[in-house]
Amino acid sequence: MPTYYYLTLSFVLFLVGTSGVLLRRNALIVLMGIELQLNAGNLAFLAFSRQLGDQKGHAFAFIIIALAAAEAAVGLAILVALFRSRQTINLDEASLMKR
Amino acid sequence: MQPAVGDYIVFGLLAAGVIGGAVFTMTRRNPVTAVMSLVGTFFALAATYASLSAHFLAIIQILVYAGAIMVLFIFVVMILNREEVAPVALRGLGLRSLGVAAGIYLVIIFARIVRVNTPSDLPVPSETFGTVASIGDILFRDFLYPFEAISLLLLVAVVGGVVVSRSHKKEVAAEQAAERRKIVEELQRHDFPALADNAAEPHGSGGHH
Repeated sequence: MPTYYYLTLSFVLFLVGTSGVLLRRNALIVLMGIELQLNAGNLAFLAFSRQLGDQKGHAFAFIIIALAAAEAAVGLAILVALFRSRQTINLDEASLMKR
Repeated sequence: MQPAVGDYIVFGLLAAGVIGGAVFTMTRRNPVTAVMSLVGTFFALAATYASLSAHFLAIIQILVYAGAIMVLFIFVVMILNREEVAPVALRGLGLRSLGVAAGIYLVIIFARIVRVNTPSDLPVPSETFGTVASIGDILFRDFLYPFEAISLLLLVAVVGGVVVSRSHKKEVAAEQAAERRKIVEELQRHDFPALADNAAEPHGSGGHH
């Protein structure tokens, strides 16, 4: 397959993730949208890596996956703390840092 | 290496799975359904990685994403599951259709740009492309410092996650006890020993000392 098919797929995936992050109010779904964006980046890295025959893109993708794991751990912990302090994960109701 | 018709069909199926799963994830009202379709999306993405000769990354994608991260998500969803009343923030059909039109326009422009600027045929990959051995070679030779940094980042993230999400009952209890002590001191200073005794007893457990 030509590389631009994969790049277009990656771009559409990033767009879907971005629209989820921007439009949804549920903080859990917003975190899932961020995961989709990271995966779109990974797909672009792997497509370029295959095109150029250089495996450094694979190392980058590997590091991004570890980064996504760290992001999910911290993000979900913040969500749990948010839910403890105000019984909601609706982002419109959680616009202040203080209680 | 020109692609055969079968390649296009396989890519079409994978792309439909990825995009369909992603859209399904972003539009579900119930977070459990969203997590499940996200797992499906990650499986389709892993297959796409494998079609790019990135077999090691495909396996890692399934192990780490569809396995570890999604289990974390499911646990948190089950702790805080709340059905949403109005899940989408954007109101009004006009704004929404404008957003969709802008997205489609962006995709078309982007597809044109990358089509012109990338070669239309892929080179044949070398024998060892995407194998564990060659990626490990790169990771531990050229990327040793980022590799160690990412391990440190994971450690910090895990410790931070525990610190942020742990229960604060003990701190709250200690704060309330300090408050109570302050009130007792205040009352004693103003010569109300009886009231001070009352305030010192947290929940009226009865009995004078």
